[in-house]
Amino acid sequence: MSHNQLTPLSDLVPGQEATVVQLEALGPVRRRLLEMGFIRGARLKVEKLAPLGDPMELVIKGYHLSLRREEGSCILVSPAAPSGVR
Amino acid sequence: MHPGLAGGPFGGAMTTVALAGNPNSGKTTIFNGLTGSRHHVGNWAGVTVERRSGFLELDGNSFEVVDLPGTYSLSAQSEDERIASRYLAGPEADLIINVLDASNLERNLYLTTQLLELRRPVIFVLNMMDDAERQGVSLDLEALQRLLGGPVIPTIGNREEGIEQLKRTLLDVSTGTDPRIRAIPVGYGDDIEKELAKLVREIHRDEKLAESQAPRWLALQLLERAPEAEARVRESHASSAVGRQAAASLAFLEAHLGADGGTLLAEQRYGFAHGLVAEAVRRKDRVRKSPTDRLDDVLTHRWLGIPIFLAIMIAVYSFTFILGKYPQDWIGMGFQWLQREADLLLPPGELASLLVDGIIPGVGSVVVFVPIIMILMGCIAFLEDTGYMARAAFIMDRLMHLMGLHGKSFIPLVMGTGCNVPGVQATRTIETREDRFITILVSPLVSCSARLQVYILVAGTFFRPVPAAVAIIGMHFLGFALAMIVGKVLRLTLFRGANNPFVMELPPYRMPVLKATFIHMWEKGSVFLSRAGTVILAGTTLVWFLSHYPGITNRAWAAEYQSGRAALSALDLPPAEKEARLAELDLAQESRLMNTSFAARFGKLLQPALAPILDPDHTRPEAWKDGVALTAGFVAKEIVVGTLAVVHQASPEAGDGRGKAASLQDVLRRSSGLTPLTALAFMVFTLLYTPCLGTVGMILKETRSVPWTAFTVVYGLALAWGLAWGTTFLGRLAGFA
Repeated sequence: MSHNQLTPLSDLVPGQEATVVQLEALGPVRRRLLEMGFIRGARLKVEKLAPLGDPMELVIKGYHLSLRREEGSCILVSPAAPSGVR
Repeated sequence: MHPGLAGGPFGGAMTTVALAGNPNSGKTTIFNGLTGSRHHVGNWAGVTVERRSGFLELDGNSFEVVDLPGTYSLSAQSEDERIASRYLAGPEADLIINVLDASNLERNLYLTTQLLELRRPVIFVLNMMDDAERQGVSLDLEALQRLLGGPVIPTIGNREEGIEQLKRTLLDVSTGTDPRIRAIPVGYGDDIEKELAKLVREIHRDEKLAESQAPRWLALQLLERAPEAEARVRESHASSAVGRQAAASLAFLEAHLGADGGTLLAEQRYGFAHGLVAEAVRRKDRVRKSPTDRLDDVLTHRWLGIPIFLAIMIAVYSFTFILGKYPQDWIGMGFQWLQREADLLLPPGELASLLVDGIIPGVGSVVVFVPIIMILMGCIAFLEDTGYMARAAFIMDRLMHLMGLHGKSFIPLVMGTGCNVPGVQATRTIETREDRFITILVSPLVSCSARLQVYILVAGTFFRPVPAAVAIIGMHFLGFALAMIVGKVLRLTLFRGANNPFVMELPPYRMPVLKATFIHMWEKGSVFLSRAGTVILAGTTLVWFLSHYPGITNRAWAAEYQSGRAALSALDLPPAEKEARLAELDLAQESRLMNTSFAARFGKLLQPALAPILDPDHTRPEAWKDGVALTAGFVAKEIVVGTLAVVHQASPEAGDGRGKAASLQDVLRRSSGLTPLTALAFMVFTLLYTPCLGTVGMILKETRSVPWTAFTVVYGLALAWGLAWGTTFLGRLAGFA
């Protein structure tokens, strides 16, 4: 896969893995995302969507996190081929 | 002495220990383990976040342990973080215990990188070692101690393992004799370090600024553009020099490293954490799914998630309001007995009335809340400690987000249908202030079981059974719908500024420690009694005064009543009939007092305001009685029923065989002059007007704000009047009477 293929995190489907490339969010949202581990190069995996379709559950830095699609849309990621890396 | 660090051995009688760590790191179990049951629960100054502290004595040395709110960082964004970072940057804490989840070390170490900048001795507690072991994680404690510059204590908080070692370490560190304590700088790389050094130099231009907190910590916050740090600098006389340097540094870093200061620092901190984990943590490759993953396959499943959640809600609800009904009834009976005994013992008069009709039922009305509060808070603490609460928010967030609320707002609102008082208290689980306040402010709109009693009386009197049921269910829907609308409106107006990201950890499922749950229940119950209880008691006493004066001072009436009783007692009647006639006499006296009281005068004053709703044609001579009942209902809405009975001199229970007092339903139907339409408007008004005293007391306790509490009262009244008027107006347009 070419790694310059950027997608918003919210477009990923459950089971897909990706690497964080860039945060579009500003202010407190940006700061919160950084603290929770959304730094450049961080690997993440989409676990599932909530029963009503939003928010989404991800694994990043070895822990589970829930994120609204609204916030996911301002995280640009480069999708990776599935692998065993968590 | 600890090289490069402030303090130790600490002078003064007491060493203050701050307990810091991520949410879900098991901080509370460590706190409980250290301090046993010697807790003090209060609030942090000016805010509604609970402040828990406890005491501990070791070899004649006293320690105060302060449990800081669980935070992921010290960036001072949320209320919790502001409290933690202010406290830690201030002079109070002598040393810090950093509680870390050993099974999730990397993310937990992010906060640690900030704690290390505070120049205080830090003890690191690797909690939940059992979880880590189960996950195949092994930790090199020696390496961690070396890399972190402080003692590292492995613990299993919920089994109190490692607590003794932690206490010994605490003693060593406080006496300055622990050799492991060293200042460890978190390196941010040459470029950033150079800019930090420049900033620190500028900060030292103002020695007061430099002393107010560690200059390097301030410099780091400036690079992150933390508003609180920027504000602090603005107050300094060196503000222009520091501000210029900060701008220059940020521009330089942006140009050279290609990102803003906040991003760069976060990357460096995670770099430090990652390096540490790489060196000290060995993780066996894991192929099998963890127990949490397997549980979540079911509990947050696409189709099963919602039904399971609803089943859990029903269970909690039944537990609280059905099981809780028993102790509530016992307490109620106890107070009734007390009331009867006091009535028999005391000579009749104002003092007796104050006790019998004012204080005793007033205290009773406070105490009856305690069982449901403790049960509900116990259930919620249990769900929270298992980790399910985060899943509940995950499942419900979509729906609640539509109404401008948070996933965690769902449970308090649903519990509010039983009773708003514990519902408001249950908002404690909502982290951000804005989400919590909106939820608190809309909570009273949710129809509770006390209002149900009014609906049953009114709908049962004026409607046939099926329309009555529809009207009663409709009230509940109306309450929920209004909570949604008002929530959305508040979000778009008064709470617009706040943009709280819904970034929520889904912690691993854990078995809760029942002891912690019980401590929590006990704290909730006692805090309710001491805080909200006083408000409620004051309110009930005031209402007693208003509804008994001035009639109670009328000696002629009292004499008449007493002689009436004496005459009746002297008569030779069958006991049942005598009792019934005595009850009738009591009711007449009560009614006379009530109908001449200040409360009645107030109700009469209200009549013009209520007339467009309840008496649109000005044909009801008894319309003023509605106002009296609604005024008394401020104490608790079910009192509307009892007061209607008193003012109409009727027995509140249908088919009550005692004496000739007619049943309230008959009297209302016959002589109140209400029509089905105005009765419906009465129900709408009862649903929405001023929350009851208990709820007001709780709102005051939870918001710690008189203006917000007053706001809730006022908007409730306005909404009640508007919608009840709309009901009457539209109903008449549609041809109903």
